[in-house]
Amino acid sequence: MRYDSITDAIGDTPLVRIDPAVHGLRHIDLYAKLEMLNPFGSVKDRAAWSMARPGLPDAVRRGATIVELSSGNTAKALAVIAGMHGLSFKSVTNRMRVPEVKELLLLLGAEIEELPGRSECLDPTDTEDPLTLFHQELARPGQPSLHTDQYFNDLNTAAHAAGTGPEIIADLDGRAPDWFLACVGTAGSSTGVARALRAHDPAVRVVGLVGEKSDFIPGIRTLDEVHEVGLFDPATYDTIEAVGADDALDGMLTLIRRCGLLAGPTGGAAYHGAVRHLRPLDDGLAAEAGADGRRRTAVFIVCDRVESYLSYIRERRPELLGRPPARNSVATLTDAEIRATTVIDTTDARKWIAAERPLVVDLRGPFAYAALHIDGSVNIVDELFDELLRGGLPFSKRQPVLLACPVGEKSVRYAALLTRMGHPDVRSLAGGIIAWRDAGAPLVRD
Amino acid sequence: MNGAPLHLEPHLEPPLATVLRAPAFLHTLVDALGSPLNVVLPDRIAANVDRFRAVHGRHSLAGQVFFAHKANRSRALVRRLAATDAGIDVASLGELQHALGAGFTPDRIVATGPKDPQFRWLAARTGVTVSVDGEGELTGLAALVRRHGLPPVRVLLRLSGFEAAASGIRVRSRQSRFGTSVTQLDGLLDAVERHRDAVEPVGVGHHLDTTSLDEKALALEGALHAMDALRRRGCQPRAIDIGGGFGVNYLADGAAWDRWTTALTHAVLGSRPPLTWGGHGYGLRAEGGTLRGALGLYPAHRPLAGPAYLDALLARPAASLGGRPLGTLLLENLYDLYSEPGRALVDQCGLSLARVLEVRTTAAGDRLVRLAMTANDVSLEEHGVLMDPVLVPHDGPEPAADGAGSDGAGPAAHGVYLTGSLCLESDLITRRAVFLPRPPRPGDLLAFANTAGYCMDFSATRAQAQPVAHKVAAWEEDGSWRWCLDEQYWPLTPSGGLTA
Repeated sequence: MRYDSITDAIGDTPLVRIDPAVHGLRHIDLYAKLEMLNPFGSVKDRAAWSMARPGLPDAVRRGATIVELSSGNTAKALAVIAGMHGLSFKSVTNRMRVPEVKELLLLLGAEIEELPGRSECLDPTDTEDPLTLFHQELARPGQPSLHTDQYFNDLNTAAHAAGTGPEIIADLDGRAPDWFLACVGTAGSSTGVARALRAHDPAVRVVGLVGEKSDFIPGIRTLDEVHEVGLFDPATYDTIEAVGADDALDGMLTLIRRCGLLAGPTGGAAYHGAVRHLRPLDDGLAAEAGADGRRRTAVFIVCDRVESYLSYIRERRPELLGRPPARNSVATLTDAEIRATTVIDTTDARKWIAAERPLVVDLRGPFAYAALHIDGSVNIVDELFDELLRGGLPFSKRQPVLLACPVGEKSVRYAALLTRMGHPDVRSLAGGIIAWRDAGAPLVRD
Repeated sequence: MNGAPLHLEPHLEPPLATVLRAPAFLHTLVDALGSPLNVVLPDRIAANVDRFRAVHGRHSLAGQVFFAHKANRSRALVRRLAATDAGIDVASLGELQHALGAGFTPDRIVATGPKDPQFRWLAARTGVTVSVDGEGELTGLAALVRRHGLPPVRVLLRLSGFEAAASGIRVRSRQSRFGTSVTQLDGLLDAVERHRDAVEPVGVGHHLDTTSLDEKALALEGALHAMDALRRRGCQPRAIDIGGGFGVNYLADGAAWDRWTTALTHAVLGSRPPLTWGGHGYGLRAEGGTLRGALGLYPAHRPLAGPAYLDALLARPAASLGGRPLGTLLLENLYDLYSEPGRALVDQCGLSLARVLEVRTTAAGDRLVRLAMTANDVSLEEHGVLMDPVLVPHDGPEPAADGAGSDGAGPAAHGVYLTGSLCLESDLITRRAVFLPRPPRPGDLLAFANTAGYCMDFSATRAQAQPVAHKVAAWEEDGSWRWCLDEQYWPLTPSGGLTA
């Protein structure tokens, strides 16, 4: 397929059937609408392009900055679109909690502005919420900007009413599904698709999925937060159901490991919410089997890919990203090995340094080392030292070594490890650099 | 929406939980001293200090925990604290005098906040550490030291306006009227150098009024850089004072808090009956079916609060310093950690009691419970802290188990509004309906739990010539509760100082 611009590749995403052996529904065919296959990586490509496109010629003329309140995918798509048109893009957010998303946005050339958190000592007269400040700044003259306003902009919904919805109908041979299930973020995709499907067949049931309040699923709003969204209209949905982060991750794993769909947590939430909602209905269909014999269909949206959420997953399911135990690790030391290690206090250490010139290794970070250190010492920060030791002894056995850390806790462990690895004369500075300072021994700054 | 009661049950730990199970004791106190009455539990503050110390220990950090005195003016709490190894952060002449009189030596006192000349003088004369707001205060302090021939004063430089060092990300912080912007640090350090004969910079400090760990982490990272700048000027700073704002978890059940805030959202949008007096939205409002504004309430259920919050802050990586955790950076730079918890250090340290005077139903069907107390006596609403009071029944047999009040509705079917004793429409002790296990009756006590942090007598006045609450210190001894007036307490238990 040949395109003149990557934006022409937005939309026309595949609709893929989930193997019934995976979801276990007997009378319902479940399809995933793979919005993650849009060129910038998510369902938001459609909305971003739809919202930005009409304002672009004017924005280019004024040299405006595209501005959006977004913590992820919309920002990603807008950053790319802005870059393609020589514009800058700024994302304002208080919700960007996934570091990779932040880094990716910086890589795409976005500027990120984070709004302050809530006051600890409440000032009830302070009615200025950060968002109000944001809108006041946008309205200030002399700051040319194109605010795409995804939570209130009808062009967000329109992209799905004209694109995503009709595509689903076409792929189902001209029929609307019996159920459509989608996570609610800006409400743009669910509202737009629901509009198109209902226009085709008013009987379609629409299920909105939101996050549970106590936890957080990237890209989804909670039951309360959806009410802050201008595009959100409760009448769009036949039901609204909450999905927990744990369930979203379970759903995500099923899609990844059993369906070959590299979906992110939001897609996982949609899958989990879909199956949970449909299972009792499927059982009901079994009870009245033969009534019409027609198989039912349901569609959910997979809105983006998993790669950007590794730290989110690491935080909640570290075992999924487990690493094999490393060789020569301090974690494997026994208490006896640590107790057997030679520790040396500041007075003796100074004598030893003067007499035998041991290599003094300071395990603190480079910032601390640069500020103050033992004269003549070398700085190998603990995490580097740790890696270095995995490869084997980094010093000659004829070279005595004194290890130093802030309080002597880490250095004694590494001294024990070096001893185990066969070094004959490694010692740990008792009480560390703090004891050294408190003893009045000299520290220098080079 | 059903009418199920929306409880916001307070989180209670001993000794607060224990004293609330001693109704006869609480009634005796109010019978003798009147309503309202504040009760502080001095032993708990010592336990709280230990919890903060344990976090220092986990990160191998030396330093000091300074109680932000402004959270509570109790003598007993401060005297009990003086018997521990903690410090105190004073923000007025009166607080400084109080701390000195309670037994704090100057090396355990930090003077912060806006200072008048008398406060500054006593601070400099006694040799407490002074947290200076900026160049002006530093110069004034140095002049005072020279004029009176005082020894050099230990100062902490209060900084603000920290910004992320990483390009591309701008982290906005709440505007503060205190401290010197880090962008003007050089000028402040010039002043420090000019006044080295009169002031000794022991470190830098900040206090951010935010619940956000990210902002606090950013500020601590900025403070590490500022300390390095001080070192480059030949100073030997030792301490970073990270202020307070570690928070308190007020509620027993996070799900209940979620239910309540969702119900408020729906009430504001008109999709359920109001659950507040006059449809008050606590900062939320509806515009064309969309929710606007910001919830002006303390996040009452906080799984991460107090010492655990400090622990999490110290575990945060510092992006501009190789991603090393902040606690590790403090340690390996040989810095002491100073913190100034207020609310978190008096968590579970007290309660406020009020007698029920009248229970009536308005024409509109709202049930009002009038208390012998004003909203200023327990400023829970002012500080946005929402917690159900604990009903402490009046002595004597419970009436026949109708449990329903006079109007025959189920006991928990609808809530009550708690009104104060001022002749003012606005004197509401709760603007939301609170649900109690049974409708209260005149003579009952309502106990507002865990008010010691800012919600006890912070705003108490003598408006309308009403009495200000007495305050007592209470402690448990050999299985029974003992008490004395707050001002008569000294930490000489076991007898509250009466026999020791």
